[in-house]
Amino acid sequence: MAAASTSSFIPLKPRPTPRGLSTIAVLKLGAPLSFSFRRPVLAPARLRISCVAKPETVEKVAKVVKKQLALPAETLVTGDSKFAALGADSLDTVEIVMGLEEEFDISVEEDSAQSIATVQDAADLIEELVRKKCA
Amino acid sequence: MLSFLRRSYLNFSFMNPQYCCLSRNFSAALPPLLPVQLPSRMETHLWYVVPDEVKSAPLLSKYMELLPQSERDHVLGFRGDQLQKSALLARTLVRTTIARYQVDGHLDPRSLRFKRNIHGKPEVEWETKDGFCPPPLQFNISHTSSLVACGVTINSLIGIDVEEKRRRTKNNILAFAKRYFTAHEVEHLNAIPDSELQQQEFIKLWTLKEAYVKALGKGFSSSPFNTFTIRASSGIAVETLDSPQNLTNNWQFALLELMGSHYVAICLERQETGGAGKTLPIKLTARKTIPFVEDELVSGTNAVVTIGGSVTQF
Repeated sequence: MAAASTSSFIPLKPRPTPRGLSTIAVLKLGAPLSFSFRRPVLAPARLRISCVAKPETVEKVAKVVKKQLALPAETLVTGDSKFAALGADSLDTVEIVMGLEEEFDISVEEDSAQSIATVQDAADLIEELVRKKCA
Repeated sequence: MLSFLRRSYLNFSFMNPQYCCLSRNFSAALPPLLPVQLPSRMETHLWYVVPDEVKSAPLLSKYMELLPQSERDHVLGFRGDQLQKSALLARTLVRTTIARYQVDGHLDPRSLRFKRNIHGKPEVEWETKDGFCPPPLQFNISHTSSLVACGVTINSLIGIDVEEKRRRTKNNILAFAKRYFTAHEVEHLNAIPDSELQQQEFIKLWTLKEAYVKALGKGFSSSPFNTFTIRASSGIAVETLDSPQNLTNNWQFALLELMGSHYVAICLERQETGGAGKTLPIKLTARKTIPFVEDELVSGTNAVVTIGGSVTQF
């Protein structure tokens, strides 16, 4: 799989920012273009090209989220699920990030920890960090 | 109960473009809101709702009617009745509270428009009519499933945060603090031998730090929690790590215990000093409310106990 380019990680920004969306494209050899729509980001705006997270990652994130929020195992949690909509306040969000750091053996920048809004955001961030770690 | 709301609001004529523009005829069934004078320059008004005390489905339905489509969708996007209810009460509280100050004749809570500043902090978007000078009203909301609160000032930036006293972290407190707080704060928590007290102290610190960042209004990413220390030995003050010698004197704090069950942290932009850099106490008026139903002045009672900062209750 070829990625268009790599760039440094950009911390995700707070949830309620009604700005234009930035579109990230991933070019996979032999596969159609897939687009991943990101939550709006605040300045400084830097173009970020990255991979869309694997379903297994999204699943693992969902598991950590359900555990933190004490949700029944059968609760439907998908990539689009917003932490806040599931009942996470800012303390829960930071605890979820701590849980993810343990689960994936990564380290998330402090300013990102309080800003992650959806399960997909978390999964994408994790894959980016894991990829950089292994690079 | 909330599924009732979903069904019933779909039948409303909210699609009518005139809906948002009415002044007094919003509902024959709802009594008017009790008007209140704007806080003076030195005052802070605290309003709160206890969700468990708001049980009437028709009343909640009326609250839903106050919101524009986008806010209704936002409320209904929350998973489950309890979360939807506190989200609804948060929007209702902020709209009805601001409407009480009647800065533009009789203000219909439905007519208020909100916007976000460049950093995402919510603000009122006042209509620019001839001769109308919008008041420099500042507000901030915070809610948990068991409490919804709104703080209001004139001129002074405000941030508030509420949390249940008995809130437990899933992670070990010191591990969490080492990861996200400053060294001084970790030391402070570490020095508390009793685990129950340590837990409470942690929650107090958390709410104070949240209140500060919300008052700053620049989003959490601009002030990560490990870049500033809250010192709460004598009085409460904030110290940013990039200028450790100067306690940041622009901000003052209050920490309250509400109804014996919740901590409320308030952070205010300092407006005036009492001469020679002395800080004047925060003048606080606290009211418990069920909008359109009842208001109760609770400051000075044991429903609102000052546990940190310099506060005079009125």
